[in-house]
Amino acid sequence: MSDVLLEVKNLKQYFNEGKPSEVRAIDDISFSINRGETFGLVGESGCGKSTTGRTIIRLYDATDGEVLFNGINVQDKKSKAGNKDFNRKMQMIFQDPYASLNPRMKVMDIIAEGIDNNGLAKSKKERKEKVISLLETVGLNREHAERYPHEFSGGQRQRIGIARALAVDPEFIIADEPISALDVSIQAQVVNLLKDLQEERGLTYLFIAHDLSMVKYISDRIGVMYFGKLVEMAPADELYRNPMHAYTKSLLSAIPLPDPIYERSRVRTPYNPKDHNYGSDEHVEFREIAPEHFVLCSDKEFEEMKKNHVPKES
Amino acid sequence: MSKILQVKDLELSFHTFAGEVKAIRGVNFDLNKGETLAIVGESGSGKSVTTKSIMRLLPESSSEFKNGEILFDGKDLTKLPEREMQKIRGKDISMIFQDPMTSLNPTMTIGKQIMEPILKHQKVSKAKARKVAIELLNMVGIPNAENRYKMYPHQFSGGQRQRIVIATALACNPQILIADEPTTALDVTIQAQILELMKDIQKKIDTSIIFITHDLGVVANVADRVAVMYGGMIVEIGTVDEIFYNPQHPYTWGLLSSMPSMDVNEEKLYAIPGTPPDLLNPPKGDAFALRSEYALKIDMEQPPPFFRVSDTHYAATWLLHPQAPQVEPPSGIIERMRTFPGSRYYEATGGRA
Amino acid sequence: MKKDIEKLPQDQFERIEIDSSHAERIEKPSLSFWQDAWLRLRKNKAAIVSMVVLVLLVIMALVGPHLNGHDGAAQNLRHANLPPKMPGIEKLGIMDGVGNLSGEKVDLYAMKKVDEYYWFGTDGLGRDLFTRLWEGTQISLLIAFVAALIDLVIGVLYGGISGYFGGRTDDVMQRIVEILIGIPTLIVVILMIMVMEPGIGAIIIAISITGWIGMSRIVRAQILKYKNQEFVLAARTLGTNDSRIIGKHLMPNVLGIIVINTMFTIPNAIFFEAFLSFIGIGLQPPAASLGTLINDGFKVMEFQPYVLLFPCIVISVLMIAFNLIGDGLRDALDPKMKD
Repeated sequence: MSDVLLEVKNLKQYFNEGKPSEVRAIDDISFSINRGETFGLVGESGCGKSTTGRTIIRLYDATDGEVLFNGINVQDKKSKAGNKDFNRKMQMIFQDPYASLNPRMKVMDIIAEGIDNNGLAKSKKERKEKVISLLETVGLNREHAERYPHEFSGGQRQRIGIARALAVDPEFIIADEPISALDVSIQAQVVNLLKDLQEERGLTYLFIAHDLSMVKYISDRIGVMYFGKLVEMAPADELYRNPMHAYTKSLLSAIPLPDPIYERSRVRTPYNPKDHNYGSDEHVEFREIAPEHFVLCSDKEFEEMKKNHVPKES
Repeated sequence: MSKILQVKDLELSFHTFAGEVKAIRGVNFDLNKGETLAIVGESGSGKSVTTKSIMRLLPESSSEFKNGEILFDGKDLTKLPEREMQKIRGKDISMIFQDPMTSLNPTMTIGKQIMEPILKHQKVSKAKARKVAIELLNMVGIPNAENRYKMYPHQFSGGQRQRIVIATALACNPQILIADEPTTALDVTIQAQILELMKDIQKKIDTSIIFITHDLGVVANVADRVAVMYGGMIVEIGTVDEIFYNPQHPYTWGLLSSMPSMDVNEEKLYAIPGTPPDLLNPPKGDAFALRSEYALKIDMEQPPPFFRVSDTHYAATWLLHPQAPQVEPPSGIIERMRTFPGSRYYEATGGRA
Repeated sequence: MKKDIEKLPQDQFERIEIDSSHAERIEKPSLSFWQDAWLRLRKNKAAIVSMVVLVLLVIMALVGPHLNGHDGAAQNLRHANLPPKMPGIEKLGIMDGVGNLSGEKVDLYAMKKVDEYYWFGTDGLGRDLFTRLWEGTQISLLIAFVAALIDLVIGVLYGGISGYFGGRTDDVMQRIVEILIGIPTLIVVILMIMVMEPGIGAIIIAISITGWIGMSRIVRAQILKYKNQEFVLAARTLGTNDSRIIGKHLMPNVLGIIVINTMFTIPNAIFFEAFLSFIGIGLQPPAASLGTLINDGFKVMEFQPYVLLFPCIVISVLMIAFNLIGDGLRDALDPKMKD
């Protein structure tokens, strides 16, 4: 039994609830993340993956459901001291390196924000030293502390964002599309940095992205979201080798790879939700078709998938 | 193959309050009839500026052609008066932009927007133009075009809007279509559809495409030839197979190695260190040398010329100079080179797995 | 593309070790947003000239009334209706004390046996117009600055609270603004002035009673824009409290727009005060403001155009200067113009 750090149970997030314009951004999803692992969440824009991350860190209040962090429901209203503790344990890295740093603050003050809020430094000198050591952790140096965000490139800014999140010594980091806005050559820098930090500090990640190839590389397990629902969840290799849900298959078949010969022969399988053809009496739920591999399916599909599943060659 | 567009020694600068930014520092390439040339590079490499200068879409007040020419149809586009340029834009050369949300006018029906270039450049009646517009919408895969033709952009999804943008660009059967990151803002599945559409259309109307992107997967999918740009210059140009299976420039190596492979589980991704050069003060020698582990002494002093690898493949790196030491590319690149006849790592027996 | 491969010294081809941390170095000097904006503003000649002109006008408004030894309130009917006469310039044929007297050009100073110089002439009560002009400018500027300051404080607070807390608070506050804006300003002002003692205080209150609405709307829109930006979300996930988010994250970003807007509020207030005084419900005599001076001058425009001319020049220059500075600041502070 692995040590569960975060558990999401039947989480729902409806916007404009009850009105005609109701949007079910998250529609009853459940998953858990073990300590020290990276859980990837993929899906198209508008599928609710970013909302999931923001609801977990309580930027939004959930409509229904529970988020258990270290066994405590973070959606509960708690004392202020409890909140502070929670804020330290869970941190977030944002997508847009240009919008996620305050343009009027020096890098020093941006990174030190969490240190100040939580009183983690006793003196000005200690604060400065902490910031510089964080800068060095992310591959920048002390000269950068006195500069403003607009002087940095996208990749450097993203690393400053990572340093800011690290300043409070979190256990769990939600990375909300941290590389989508970066150039290919810079993406690798950031991903490598995240991996190194995980090793050094035993961090746990929720890695949200739409780029399946990077997610597959960084994640231990992956969840695939489609219109607010989790349709498939499996270990990264398993998901790639044995995609079961038609949507996952379509997503995988759509990724262009840097390999012209493969590209000439790649066939894309389109996805149409109507193809499931669920009857009114059929019960569609999240079922385990192989160890650790869950798919949203009906009884009939469940049997079929079990048959089609290719076990891992030993 | 006939050359439809020639860019020669193009140099272009922006005048900003901080000083002169040398955005393009000597770019040479030809575009052949019916081919797709992909220009790859990171932001700030000059790939967008190059194509915008072909279309002459850069602000006249702050940008300046320093040198070179862009030859199209016997005319040098850098020197053409604006009036003449307007006749070419949208008719002979048209452009698709990155964001389908902002490249359509929200207050005009899509039918009108497609008809606009037809009515402007061709002497046809309104009825004829409408017919062409509906045909175009059908061609780009908008179902029920006769009715939807009267709709406004906000009534379409992002992918459909990009299809409409493409229809607008194709309205006058352009000889050259410039696509500036046309799929970057789209989801993978929609991206795949748009790429398929562009390839289909190219087959049908035999247009030449310049495709700008930073996604090497997309390049592998659409391109016939590839130009890799870095620091305002082309550093390597060749056919798609040559670039992907026999790359010569360390920057191309870095780009290809920094993409994770779906099949293999690498321990660590190859990452190009550092950040792109500041074109306000471009480096003296090879712009990439400061980030390259293969840098030579000469890279710091003199920019490398183009060295010929094959008739279609050129790379600007001193590593190809006969006096340069033999270096070993990253392992992922050697893996790629093994499959390419003519590369020094080619294994005749092995071939492609 | 094809260059002959020339023979180069072999040592040029030695491999070198690159310290990749060098590639992280930033060459440009570090500039804060405000330093950056100042550099840009400095390049805007119109704005800089306007600033100099404005500073001169403010200095004149402060010291002008004491320059020529006349008292602006002192009436001297013997010296009434004198044209401008300035030492030095009089030799050039202008401002030499020559004025119209029933169609003929006469040196009125000589005629009335006045030895003193009235640089900008006198009015019908014999008051020195030069002194009165600068006293008027002083009062106009005072009214404008105070009104703009009140606009700023109320507008920023109101808009900030409304935008930041949103939801019901925002709904209620915006409905109130809509009602206020629905009442014609002039009616409110006339009522205010009727109720209160006419004077500087009444005018300032009259100008600011609805003047802050524009500022509050701009601030609210800006706060709405910034409060969902990722850097604010990041601050919230770090446990930053509301007052720190407003003070450290939102306000510094909105400040540019506030400064620009204030630069446009000041000339509007000057103009509004002048307008009120001109239609006779503003400042009451003997107090002078640019508006009352223009009103006085307007009555004798045909015979003594100089009475109207000088306050008109001052008010125009003030308006243009403030607007040009505002434009310059907008170009300098607007991040969209960033290159």
